[in-house]
Amino acid sequence: MRSAAQKWLHGLSNTKPDELDVKELLSCYDIATPAGLRLGPNDSVAIRNMQPPYVVKVCSGDILHKTDQGGVRLNVQPDRLENTITEMRAKFPGVSVLVEEHVHVSGSELIVGGLVDQEFGTAVMVGAGGILTELYQDVTFRLAPCSAEEARRMLNELQIAPLFSGYRGLNLDADLLAKTVAAISRMVIDLGDVFSQLDINPLGWVNNKWMALDAKLVLNSKV
Amino acid sequence: MDRSASRMPTRSDSDWGEWPLAKLFRPRAIAVVGATSKPGKVGRIVFDLLRRTERPVYPVHPTQKTLLGHDVIPRVEDLPEGVDVAVITVNAGQAVQAATDCGHKGIPFIIVVAGGFSEVGAEGRILEDKLRAVVATTGSRILGPNSLGIFVPRERIDTIFVEHGDRALAGGGGVAFITQSGSVGTEGLGVASNIGFGLRAFVGLGNKVDLNELDFLRYFGDDDRTNCIMLYMENFSDGRAFLEIAGQVSRKKPVVVLKAGRTAAGAAAASSHTGRLAGSDRVVSGAFRQFCIQRVFDEEQLCDAARVLAGAPLPRGPRVAVISSGGGYGVMAADYIESRRQRTRLQMAHLSPDTEAKLRAIVPGFASVANPVDLTASATDEMTGDTLRIVTADDGVDAVICVALFAPPGISDALVAHTAAVAADVDKPIVVVGQFGPFTDGLLRRFYDNGVIGYPCVARAVRAVRTLVERAEFVHTMEGTP
Repeated sequence: MRSAAQKWLHGLSNTKPDELDVKELLSCYDIATPAGLRLGPNDSVAIRNMQPPYVVKVCSGDILHKTDQGGVRLNVQPDRLENTITEMRAKFPGVSVLVEEHVHVSGSELIVGGLVDQEFGTAVMVGAGGILTELYQDVTFRLAPCSAEEARRMLNELQIAPLFSGYRGLNLDADLLAKTVAAISRMVIDLGDVFSQLDINPLGWVNNKWMALDAKLVLNSKV
Repeated sequence: MDRSASRMPTRSDSDWGEWPLAKLFRPRAIAVVGATSKPGKVGRIVFDLLRRTERPVYPVHPTQKTLLGHDVIPRVEDLPEGVDVAVITVNAGQAVQAATDCGHKGIPFIIVVAGGFSEVGAEGRILEDKLRAVVATTGSRILGPNSLGIFVPRERIDTIFVEHGDRALAGGGGVAFITQSGSVGTEGLGVASNIGFGLRAFVGLGNKVDLNELDFLRYFGDDDRTNCIMLYMENFSDGRAFLEIAGQVSRKKPVVVLKAGRTAAGAAAASSHTGRLAGSDRVVSGAFRQFCIQRVFDEEQLCDAARVLAGAPLPRGPRVAVISSGGGYGVMAADYIESRRQRTRLQMAHLSPDTEAKLRAIVPGFASVANPVDLTASATDEMTGDTLRIVTADDGVDAVICVALFAPPGISDALVAHTAAVAADVDKPIVVVGQFGPFTDGLLRRFYDNGVIGYPCVARAVRAVRTLVERAEFVHTMEGTP
């Protein structure tokens, strides 16, 4: 039987999925994402069923570092939405824009990722996320796929492990996070040989579930 | 690719098993190809070393007539039957022909000592292809080239032509050491053997044209006399297979790996946070933990870990008690124990009121009976032994570090016997810190010979306890997973 990832790959128009494509893939693996809508360069701005404020992001598989390039606007109120989209389109002509609900994360941001190690094969990572993730370097790896029990042991190894045992009154569900990491490890394996690198950063605790707020997936162009 | 897997039958209970590799470690007879009387030559040194074993050892050389009282055999084809191992000590250019001759002779194991193969470039790679052809056409198995061969104290088989802790290691033990670097292997072992190290077997993998770490990992995994396997590796023949096999072996005995050579190439090309964060080989650390393989980062850690894993019982938890006759050592040990910078965490044990009362009855009035226990300079051999006995009996203590200082006037060499007597009676690890100036190595050696693992400083002792706790955690994890 074809995996959800293979079906998703089949429906992909090129080897550079944009953020919404990746989030659709994550949804297939029961990983929550904010409500969002992709607007093509010429689409009119018609937002329904989404709670303000919004996040407006440039949405292209060719732009991997959108924050660095000014391609992300947070906390956009409804009265500023149209202007913000217009500005974004001016900055990135001919590129789609993603409008999402701006959600509130409880506690700190995490990163979950995947890569292919030359020696051991496909691996999954979890750790302290956000824009400072590479400064903290508080991450740990396992080979994929890994079980939820193994993922739970990964969380214990992190410096931020106390976050999962009531630190400062936080109530982050470590078992659910472990299941999420295990699901992602399954997903990167299901992608097969085309898989190269994955960043879900940040992953946050939003309304009692773990949600992928941003996601980036690099596929091999030739397999 | 691993061809040996399918060939190997299950082992029996006989001394070295009935796997084909058993013949490498317990050959009926050995030939040294290139044995020569010239002092300093590899062929001379190896032959001289092998004369200690209680089995025929034949020197092979085209022109030499006698060597150290033995008749020299001119050609490999003239060797008598029953030679299970040939050690080829000639240079790379001549070694290929010698290996070919040994293959045709039907000698099952060929050790190629010479360097000058793939590690020097294209020409060497061609020579290695020729060695592979010997394996493919004759069925003989090759260890090396560029290999120091094997050292098996129990069989008095030693092909290591460089200086190493051979006499100190002659007593043997339970640690199998598989190493891809000859120098790291012999130097580390040499230093470790000064303070006591129990070696089951040393295997220098060299360039691995045929036999590789997977073969030996499987073999020692099944060997009843091996109770710990340590490896120095730079690259794996098959990384995933290594993890799977080591993970299986780890269910039976600890596997400790020093993986050197970090793969930075991947990190440079990474366009993701994940890729850059992995750059410094964190994947290796994570994968090792996933498969219950213990990781170390230098040869001292490697030998320290193997000594304690092979020689001490496993703790049931992370709670450590410290006994010393010098308060400062207790405080230092506590600092190391409570450090949260390590993945495997230790705790200072809380001694029960009952334990503290019993201690109070035998220690000087001004001594501290809380953990870390400070016996002060009034400590005696007997007091230290009694304290160890009381502290190890406390249900809240999983492991004990005993700082054995020889400065207090009441402490003598008898401390070793007092400590050993307790260690023999209890199933909790007791790790000693021993310092005695220039006599430190000898002191630690005496502890070792009496069944007590010791180290010359607090940091290494605490690290050794951490190694044991990590192993205990792995065992616990494995018991929960089929």
